[in-house]
Amino acid sequence: MSDLKLRVKEMIIERLKLEGMTPDQIDDGIPLFGEGLGLDSIDALELVLGIEQVFGVKIEDEAAGLKAFKSVQALTDFIAEHMKA
Amino acid sequence: MLEIPAHLPHRYPFLLVDRVLEREPGVRVVAEKLVTMGEPYLQGHFEGHPLVPGVLLLEMLAQAGGFLEAESLHGTAIFLAGVQDARFKAPAFPGDRLRLEVTAVGAFGGLMKVRGTVSCEDRELCTARLLVKRL
Repeated sequence: MSDLKLRVKEMIIERLKLEGMTPDQIDDGIPLFGEGLGLDSIDALELVLGIEQVFGVKIEDEAAGLKAFKSVQALTDFIAEHMKA
Repeated sequence: MLEIPAHLPHRYPFLLVDRVLEREPGVRVVAEKLVTMGEPYLQGHFEGHPLVPGVLLLEMLAQAGGFLEAESLHGTAIFLAGVQDARFKAPAFPGDRLRLEVTAVGAFGGLMKVRGTVSCEDRELCTARLLVKRL
């Protein structure tokens, strides 16, 4: 697992208080919302705030969120792309 | 001066903001609520020992948070979606002039997160983070 992906998973677990869950239990390709991890709109706001705080990356609107929250892999790629910028 | 009933849809006996003292839409609001013996809930909470229910302190913060919105909230369905880390440190009594201070933390997908403090004469009575949803 890449270092950044691990940090993303740790941020998700910590921010959303997914107690008892470990990073390797979160599949890279699983959708974060709906089926998959089953997150809701409140979790989405918490993630947006967590990503900004931990990685300094802003998710400006819902269109960007839709892309970034497809999966852990998509989110890691999104963060990597915007951290460089 | 901002017309409170023109901005919030809440009405007596559930309009819990009397004055807006400072307002920077999207950033910070300071409002005020003067607690009087006329508040209907004080008759029963508690008989002979009136004090403001903690949940109403949260509601006051949520209503004050409505003034973070630049536009009037008339015709907008707005409701409390979450309460985090609420602390009730001291009770509020009739006669207290409550200062309601609300700061925006962030917003996404129609949800807004705010941090709020109710204080009276520089004593903190209640602190909480609230999630407010707009439809």
